[in-house]
Amino acid sequence: MTRFEECPGSRTVDFRNEETQEETTEKVKSQLRQWPIQMHLISPAAPYYQGADVLLTADCVAYAMGGFHSDYLKGKSIAIACPKLDEGQDVYIEKIESWLEDAKINTLTVLIMQVPCCAGLLNLARQAAQSSKRTVPIKSIVVGIQGEILSEEWVAA
Amino acid sequence: MEEYLNKSIKEIINQFPEIGNILNEYNVGCVPCSVGSCLFKDIVEIHNLPSEEEQELMSRIAKVIYPDRVVKTPEIKRESGGRPKEISYSPPMRKLVDEHVLIKKLIAIIPEVIDNLDVESEPGRQVIINSIDFIRSYADKYHHAKEEEILFKHFGEDLDIIKAMHEDHEKARSHVRAMLEALDKKDRKAISEHLNAYQELLTEHIKKEDEILYPWMDRDFSTTQVGELFTKFNARDEEFGDVPERSEQFINKLEEKFKLARL
Repeated sequence: MTRFEECPGSRTVDFRNEETQEETTEKVKSQLRQWPIQMHLISPAAPYYQGADVLLTADCVAYAMGGFHSDYLKGKSIAIACPKLDEGQDVYIEKIESWLEDAKINTLTVLIMQVPCCAGLLNLARQAAQSSKRTVPIKSIVVGIQGEILSEEWVAA
Repeated sequence: MEEYLNKSIKEIINQFPEIGNILNEYNVGCVPCSVGSCLFKDIVEIHNLPSEEEQELMSRIAKVIYPDRVVKTPEIKRESGGRPKEISYSPPMRKLVDEHVLIKKLIAIIPEVIDNLDVESEPGRQVIINSIDFIRSYADKYHHAKEEEILFKHFGEDLDIIKAMHEDHEKARSHVRAMLEALDKKDRKAISEHLNAYQELLTEHIKKEDEILYPWMDRDFSTTQVGELFTKFNARDEEFGDVPERSEQFINKLEEKFKLARL
């Protein structure tokens, strides 16, 4: 792997020469069961969030992880966001609060990349949880830039 | 060796008592368990020892069972990997672990309660009555009820480890009943004995749950199940109103009382 010293979130990393596992020849079925998915576009009141296990995912995660659909998206409702580039993130906090209080979601799983800026998404979830009257278990999953799971833990309730 | 994996641990220990000592060395406390019907393979899986320790344990046990020949030690299948460095609980299990803290505080004061037992005077009797009330309302109704009515049902009442936990709860209840009878008779000695027995029982019971049972359960839960359990626990808590706050106040007062007595 070739690395160039820059901000970890945007530095160039080239792993073309690293071995990858054989890809499956079967068509992989999408586990997405809703639209829209971008955090600015979603409505927390949408029926697929009611009582659901919700996945709040950084934009890059689904590209980094080979098994994202089957391993993490299956059975869950989703919203995606980029805590580094997206504007108007106060709205995100309000929407997460609404998931907790109005949609009465069952759990919230925050999937982020290992780069430092991505931790902002987990912070948004924590802020929303702190100001919400209702709590749910929140899980944090950190993904490496080659799709490996670096950590998976329950962080709050 | 494979044939022994499906035998109950009590049967194995009865046949090879030395295995009980070996298990003790690895903090696998099956010897004092009065049920002992857990299968050997389940015990190894539930305790989730680091793989090197597990291999060492299995080969020592194999040597006891087959002293004259070398046998291949079987690998115990499990869904998750080895034991993490620190125990990390899901929020509902963390809640149960946190509830243990108050019960452990009472357990820690029991020797002083016994040393100062006064079954004659009204204030002395009230200390015993209040302690029993704490055990019944907090440790049993508030905490154990959550386990028995919600958590254990998820795994099934027929599971041997769940039966062992139920049995511990029943024993605790019988000690409490015996304490009340002894208090009626002003039998200081009997109260001391049952308080001691309760302390011993709950110390082991909480250790088993915090270090073995809850982490094992957590490894089995899906994300959805963690959320459902959390919601059910919260709903149960609401039914109990201010029991946790009152219980904490009682323990704080009890600690203060005996701290002053020590001065």
